Amino acid sequence: MLAGSIFMSGLDRMPDAPATPTDESPAIERFLRDVERRALRMAEFATGSREEGLDLVQDAMLGFVRNYAAKPSAEWSPLFWRVLDSRINDWHRRQRVRGRWLGWFERAAEDDEHDDPIATAPDPGEPGPLARLADSEAGVALEAALRALPLRQRQAFLLRLWEGLDVADTAAAMRCSEGSVKTHLSRALANLRNTLEKHR
Amino acid sequence: MNTPRKPLQPRRSSAAENGAREAWVERAVALLDESARNLDAATLSRLNRARQTALAPRRRPRQAWLVGGSLAAAALALVIGVGLGHRVSSPTASPADAAGQDEIDALVGDDNPDLYENLEFYAWLNAQQQDGNG
Repeated sequence: MLAGSIFMSGLDRMPDAPATPTDESPAIERFLRDVERRALRMAEFATGSREEGLDLVQDAMLGFVRNYAAKPSAEWSPLFWRVLDSRINDWHRRQRVRGRWLGWFERAAEDDEHDDPIATAPDPGEPGPLARLADSEAGVALEAALRALPLRQRQAFLLRLWEGLDVADTAAAMRCSEGSVKTHLSRALANLRNTLEKHR
Repeated sequence: MNTPRKPLQPRRSSAAENGAREAWVERAVALLDESARNLDAATLSRLNRARQTALAPRRRPRQAWLVGGSLAAAALALVIGVGLGHRVSSPTASPADAAGQDEIDALVGDDNPDLYENLEFYAWLNAQQQDGNG
């Protein structure tokens, strides 16, 4: 009962999804089916590769089922995203180590302390950077802008605004304070807006 | 081509908590939803396999119970079979069973008197056949 109600928003957002859960499906399978596509896209944004993304999602599913399946279903969502976030962080850490050894550098800087969210705050009356783009162009521009974001900003944007977690659950998923979530999100919005402005 | 956009319905957050969301953010969320909805069949199949793999350990206890039950049933059948066999050959078997067992012993046993009585005849017959062939 509870599981069905908390998964409803994801299904509402994807009414055409063919993988409609059945009543016979165990609740945990329905939950994973509900989040798996968004999880893949999130992992794909983080890694830049569908293969790597699929590996991370499978790993996250395994870890989530092994460690948290016995928890109340109302707690599953932040726990699942926490496991996936942890896998994504591990992946980035491995890439950094590998990059250090091979002399490569990561595309996106992790430290974004120099951003000033107030200076880049949007004008509320303005239609926004995606307003004049067709969906296909806007989709490509958005993906490029998301991939260019620092990891923590991207995770804050995706978990908070796409997945719809509240600040507390986003903080739990990202293992940081609620204040950090707000800061990361604010910077993510400013950076996305600035990047997308170039596509107008 | 523009697709109809659905506003994001946050699962946990109240409207007051979210505040007024900018239109471009709403559109970004709609585009992300679209990208997740339009994954290709091969990717969906791999996601399905990943999910089944993750859930497999939870299904194993049920399968283990089935295997254990089957083994227990087979063991019980074996015990019953051995018990019945023992009962047939035991001295406490019923007279009818004992008579049947005697007939079998008479047919296949070593002490067949007819065979012994005609042993010389069979030896002579065998020698005749060998001479005929030679």
